[in-house]
Amino acid sequence: MFILKNAWISIKRNKGRNILIGIIILIIACACTITLAIKNTAVDLINSYKSAYDKEVTIGFNRENMMKSFDPSQEEGRESAREKFDNIASYTISDVLKFADSDYIESYYYTYSVGLNGNSIEKAEIESNGDMPNGFGHGKENNMSSTDFTLTGYSSEDAMSEFISGTYTMNEITDNAWNIAFNGNYVFINEELASYNNLKLNDKIKLEDEDGNVYEFEIIGIFKENEEDNQESMSMFSNSVNTIITNTDAVVNLTNGNENLKASIHPTFIIDSYDNVENLQDEFYEKGLDENFILQTNEELAESGVSSVKNISSFSTTFLIITLIIGGIVLFVINMINIRERKYEIGVLRTIGISKLKLTMQFVVELAIVSVVALMLGAGIGAVSSKGVSNSLLASEINSSNEKTEEVNKNFGGMNRGGERGNMHGKGMPVVQAYDSIDAVVDIKVLLELLGIGLSLVLVSSIASMVSIQRFSPLTILKERS
Amino acid sequence: MANKKKNDYVSKDNLGNNVSQKEVKVKNKENKYVSDKNEKKEVKEKITSPKEIILSIKNASYRYSDAEEGDYALKNVSFDFESGKLYAIRGRSGTGKTTLLSLISGLEKCTEGEIIFDGKSLKDMNLDKYRNSDIGIVFQSYNLLPFMTASENIVLSMDVNGLKIKNKKAKAIELMEKVGLKASYANRKVLRLSGGEQQRVAIARSLSYNPKMIIADEPTGNLDKQTETEILEIFKKLAHEENKCVIIVTHSQNVCDTVDTIYDLKKREK
Repeated sequence: MFILKNAWISIKRNKGRNILIGIIILIIACACTITLAIKNTAVDLINSYKSAYDKEVTIGFNRENMMKSFDPSQEEGRESAREKFDNIASYTISDVLKFADSDYIESYYYTYSVGLNGNSIEKAEIESNGDMPNGFGHGKENNMSSTDFTLTGYSSEDAMSEFISGTYTMNEITDNAWNIAFNGNYVFINEELASYNNLKLNDKIKLEDEDGNVYEFEIIGIFKENEEDNQESMSMFSNSVNTIITNTDAVVNLTNGNENLKASIHPTFIIDSYDNVENLQDEFYEKGLDENFILQTNEELAESGVSSVKNISSFSTTFLIITLIIGGIVLFVINMINIRERKYEIGVLRTIGISKLKLTMQFVVELAIVSVVALMLGAGIGAVSSKGVSNSLLASEINSSNEKTEEVNKNFGGMNRGGERGNMHGKGMPVVQAYDSIDAVVDIKVLLELLGIGLSLVLVSSIASMVSIQRFSPLTILKERS
Repeated sequence: MANKKKNDYVSKDNLGNNVSQKEVKVKNKENKYVSDKNEKKEVKEKITSPKEIILSIKNASYRYSDAEEGDYALKNVSFDFESGKLYAIRGRSGTGKTTLLSLISGLEKCTEGEIIFDGKSLKDMNLDKYRNSDIGIVFQSYNLLPFMTASENIVLSMDVNGLKIKNKKAKAIELMEKVGLKASYANRKVLRLSGGEQQRVAIARSLSYNPKMIIADEPTGNLDKQTETEILEIFKKLAHEENKCVIIVTHSQNVCDTVDTIYDLKKREK
């Protein structure tokens, strides 16, 4: 207790020096609060951005594995690769359901595609050019190139990656489209196909399979393919002109009724962490996935969008470290001077029997009291100013975050897509969090970090007093004084 | 002299033998100095009567860590100190008085030999605890904390000792009055007190936890004759009335005339 009492007496006695120490710590605390706030906000933004991109895993070909046995200069090598490619065991919808039953997977969705011919409508194409693309612009439907249309069923909105990425944008949509889109024979069609066949919302279209079975669908939305995604095509039609979008149940019903109707499935699995991809892949292989397939993630895509925020975050960290080093050195020097000034006091206190440990504690407590007050003031000032600084530094990222949200909403037709539809497929649309500004940047985490930094600084800068007290001989000090 | 061992210390009247200490003056029961041959028997009885030896220095030597081999600041000193007696350790400059005091007060440790306090070797004791409970130290330059008041200096010493009393300031004032200081000086910063008053505060501080022994290094060195006498009177009372062992390191004749026993430290022969 007397350590605290003595420390308090010393603080009052050395007001000038302690105010100086306090000001330095206050400046450090201010700088730390702001940089920590920026850093944490940047991390939040990064996480938010990444969470907008769910941690997705898709199944792709293991090209590396396949190329091992492929020598392009040898006809034999090409034959062998072709043979190998043909022999790859594909996976079915039941395989996908089996794969999805894993602890690593949080959710999943898939597209299920089948090739059909027109019955009541005609394929949009330029007849004079048989080489023109036939509308299967995404390379997924390569086994359906002989049919007029590709009917692609999406298991949920999450699966509608073309709308999320902005490749497709909804042009027209019925009021209740999102309530019924995933439950029945409803379709979205390309605006060019609609125009070609003079179709509008709520019209019914008929498609047939190669066995002559006819299926009827109702149009509940008309979408367009964005030009920039179509600019490389030589066609007057967009790549997706003959793609008709529906839900997976509708495609499953078709394939269940006709064994000859071959569909292809493209699953996407949402995992909890990219770290688990290897384990998940092993699990898939154990469950029967052909080893010529490999799991691919969207990690690179998610990372690419946050590079500028990451730069700000790393700049904050560097600034924080420099501030701490300079602050620490200044405090250390002040403490050294302080100790030299108080040598006599140390000598007297040691002579009357204060142990080195207690004396060291007194000096540390003195600095800690000043530091805590300065840290609190610094945190307060930092908290007030950090919001403005953070918002200004991260302004472009905030804008892009907002724009992203608006854009995704627009791609889906600008409708409110939440609420009643939300429980239909268990998972809603991936949401990009929008920030009008960054609120509460100085939270409990920042304060705890600041406290940790402050205490470390106190301890480091107290090393001068700790060492000196251990080294000083009270008798020598008192002799010098005499 | 030629066959005397280098660095040995001897009392002023025993040059013919190897005893390194000698009481040169004793008092009778009534605290009167005795020199009459007729009273020597009584004095002898007084000296040999069993008194508690509170501190015993046994062949203590001290050599600074940076000193050459064999260059001792203090060599083979052996003294005994009893409770209830006032001692002077006398010697010219460079005889090792202050070194001896720092060994006794536990500020330094013997290079050779040992010091026994109350039956325990200082080597085995916590010297911080020893200094803040068993002994009180008074310095020539007082060594008070100048930013504190007189009473705060005394209370600080009680705090260090861990003394558990309700009103430490009242106790401090009581001690100040005991050493002849007015209670009104309690709240005065020590730098506003005279040298004699500061030394009284230092004595009061050393008494704050009621130690068994008081060690004073030239306590009257900076004081005038009148004040010196008053301060010595305090030490005398502490020894004779409160049964404390008081050791004064000095080269003052006035002090030597006051004490019960003088130990002489002789300058080392080179």
